[in-house]
Amino acid sequence: MSGGKGIVPMEKAEIAIVGGGILGTVLAGFLAEGGAQVLLLDDGKGGGSTVNAGSLHVQLQSRFMRMYPDQVPAIERNLHLYPKAVNYWKELEKKLRADFDLKMTGGLMIAENQDQFEFLAGKCEREAELGLDVRMIERRELQGFAPYLGAAVFGAEHCAQEGKVNPLLANMAINKWAVAAGVTVMSETPVRSIGKSASKTGFELAIPSATIKADRVVLAAGGGNRELAAGLGLALPVVSEPLHMNITEPAVPIIGHLVQHADRPITLKQFSSGHVVIGGGWPAHLRQSDKYPTVELASIIGNTTLAQHIVPAVAPLRIIRTWAGINATTDGRPVLGEFSAMPGIYAAVSGDAGYTLGPYSAKILADIILGQPPCEDLSEFSPDVYHAV
Amino acid sequence: MSQTENIDIEFDGRKISARRGETVAAALVNAGILHLSTTPSGAQRGIYCGMGVCQECLVVIDGKPNQRACMAKIDKPVTVQRMSLAGTAPRSNTSAAPITIDDIEVVEPELLIIGAGPGGLSAAVAARKLGVEVTVLDERPVAGGQFYKQITVDSANAYPADNQHLEGARLIDQAVRLGVHIEPDTLIWGGFQSGDYVATNSKKTVCYKPKRTLIATGAYERGHIVPGWTLPGVMTTGAAQTLWRSARRLPAQKVIIAGNGPLNLQLATELTVGGAEVVVLAEAARTFRAGAFADALAMMRTSPDLVLTAADYLRQVKKAGVSTRNNAVLSRIEAVNGQLRAHFINATTRREDTFEVFAADAICLGYGFEPSNELLRALGCAHHYDPRRQELKTTLDEDGKTSIDGIYAIGDCTGLGGARAALSAGEIVGYRAATSLGYGLSTEDQLALSAARKTLARHRNFQDALWRVYAYPRINADLADADTIICRCEEVTVGRVLTEIENDCLSIGEIKRRTRLAMGRCQGRYCGPVLQHMIATYKGEIPNAYSGFAPRPPVKPIAIEDLMPGEKE
Repeated sequence: MSGGKGIVPMEKAEIAIVGGGILGTVLAGFLAEGGAQVLLLDDGKGGGSTVNAGSLHVQLQSRFMRMYPDQVPAIERNLHLYPKAVNYWKELEKKLRADFDLKMTGGLMIAENQDQFEFLAGKCEREAELGLDVRMIERRELQGFAPYLGAAVFGAEHCAQEGKVNPLLANMAINKWAVAAGVTVMSETPVRSIGKSASKTGFELAIPSATIKADRVVLAAGGGNRELAAGLGLALPVVSEPLHMNITEPAVPIIGHLVQHADRPITLKQFSSGHVVIGGGWPAHLRQSDKYPTVELASIIGNTTLAQHIVPAVAPLRIIRTWAGINATTDGRPVLGEFSAMPGIYAAVSGDAGYTLGPYSAKILADIILGQPPCEDLSEFSPDVYHAV
Repeated sequence: MSQTENIDIEFDGRKISARRGETVAAALVNAGILHLSTTPSGAQRGIYCGMGVCQECLVVIDGKPNQRACMAKIDKPVTVQRMSLAGTAPRSNTSAAPITIDDIEVVEPELLIIGAGPGGLSAAVAARKLGVEVTVLDERPVAGGQFYKQITVDSANAYPADNQHLEGARLIDQAVRLGVHIEPDTLIWGGFQSGDYVATNSKKTVCYKPKRTLIATGAYERGHIVPGWTLPGVMTTGAAQTLWRSARRLPAQKVIIAGNGPLNLQLATELTVGGAEVVVLAEAARTFRAGAFADALAMMRTSPDLVLTAADYLRQVKKAGVSTRNNAVLSRIEAVNGQLRAHFINATTRREDTFEVFAADAICLGYGFEPSNELLRALGCAHHYDPRRQELKTTLDEDGKTSIDGIYAIGDCTGLGGARAALSAGEIVGYRAATSLGYGLSTEDQLALSAARKTLARHRNFQDALWRVYAYPRINADLADADTIICRCEEVTVGRVLTEIENDCLSIGEIKRRTRLAMGRCQGRYCGPVLQHMIATYKGEIPNAYSGFAPRPPVKPIAIEDLMPGEKE
């Protein structure tokens, strides 16, 4: 990254993007490729995309259905975006001529009993209607299809369009591409607030010991968007959900799919390096002193022992690292677009599976900002609904 | 007098005679087996740290993979297999029911002490004398820590315990008789800001919620990052010392010892007594320099017995005809015709060809220590960098209290200070933790407390003088080539890391994400401090309390199946 602590490489940008996560960075790259002069600012705390565990989600996550039943209609309306977003990951990997360790393995959401199986069957039917490549697999077939699953598994819903990516490789390649495209990056630079320029058009971003001017500003700061928007008198009600993740020491290839559970929070997958990543919605907390996402003992115990219950082969593996990140969501839909109440300010929130949707959301928003014909119905993503409320 | 009991173990189909009580690593090294695991790239690795830190002597024991040979005590015949560090095939396994935090046993001692070395034990004794309920946890099979390294095999006939063993045995015995609850063989893998600590042994996982905590986790040897430092047979001075002092085994018949500090001299003496041929003992510090006499005098004044012991070591080493070199640093190791060849440079000029090349079967490296402060930092205790000692120190008050209420820390984990200082500091903390719990001090206790404070000051003076005698700066990766491994676990080279640094990537976390450095089983313990210094040097700054990796639980790898209660295999 260019530009370090204390150096201001650019005092005035055409477009300033606040937040160097997957959405902000891919967007920055596209805008720079489109000819814009782009400044990407990131606080360097790495709470979101930079610590993502790399699941590419397509089927409805049972976790969100349980947590936010009121958001299910919005998620369903936008479900068509998920397979497109996963495909877009592939396109991006190709475009960048990079290796993201992207594997279209398909995903399994497992059931432990008849009730859970029926819940998945209902979900599966609805998703098929909405165009997803999904089907139910019973215990007997599962033994051949996913022999690593334990005796506790009763059946599963399979979604052929799911997969995984190694975020370390992907983020690194994407950052490199963005910088090569001409994006100026200021890492370890928190944006304290954004205000309208007093004299003329445009905005001023307050960073430690300096102010940066920008014609247009994109709010891509995950959970930080709420406060930045509020400072401008805008509403962008992003909810920060701190989540816990675990990774084991390597094993020979065991787990072929992205594995989830119908009734309990878990995602489970194995990277090509052999490490098994166990996450999927166990809570972390924000440390009191500095609001940094912090791991929890209860999540280590609960999440990893649940993993060995589903996939017994992980039982002898040792957990070598845990970390926490933040999942930033609004109301089950991506929020992408300009605030009518304040032209020049753009919302960038990619939705409940933010990492999966990140690059495709960036593409949608880049088209909006560059004034190119949209590839999706943009009314669905408008940030104005919150202002109306 | 009892006889050493032999137990037959099997290694990759070969029968090996082991002694009851020794570690798998000790038995294998004694049988000449130095290659214990293979890295993903196909490189051979063996016993390196000998104390459960480096995670490279991993073997499969009775079908259970990822077992540290240096920590696995032999008490029955076992089948051991060499392991691929890329991972082993899964065992057939039946599903066990998942558990939650509510299934974990909770224990609430008044004082929890983590680490049963000199500091931890002396604090336990002091606090227990006043009536405090004390639990001491330690990862090793036997209490005593790295300094007292108790003998774990019965070999009283040939090599009886020495004073250092006996002093430790007395302290352990005193603690036990006073009713201190000591739990050896217990891995403490997490400390949380909630005040919870979690530990796992062969029977169960326990969550400790102590009223007061003392962290006394000691230190581990700093990596000496030179070409060849990852070869099997190259181990730390501490690893070789554990082989001899605990199991009465030699790292090899022909040994080279190189490093900086008195432990190397002690090892040379011990291995010589044990019948090894120490080909050369190379010390980085110079013998004669201005002020050395004054320092020697200061040491004589503060701890004459230690000076006499050192003189005795020197005499024994000389008598055995060990070739010694001063002002010499090991700069390169090669494996040639089944032997290890060590190259040296002049420690002052850093030029090669000053000394001849030595060959041996094992090379012991002791170039200083790193504090084991992972738990303290994970808990958020304040630290500061000591530029003189070039290490991170825990910020403590005069009672050994950290910046967090209820958490005390002593000994080498707070910054290197030696065993004697840890003993006195332990006594002080023991008393002060007790009074903070409402236990009163008698006049006698108060006298003991002020005596301990005086003794501590004396030991610190001794240690300061000792460091002046052995003064030599951190070497970091100065002697490495571009293709020398810096991160042993992920096989990341120095050149790879330098490329990132020279591309202006100066965040340790970002370098970790880009190179995978520190993402392995040892959790960055060897590469982390070196990278921290490399970045600081490049920036022209000195490291600070936040320039290293931020440790998180688990501070040591923990197997998922070991979290669950019930009979373990």
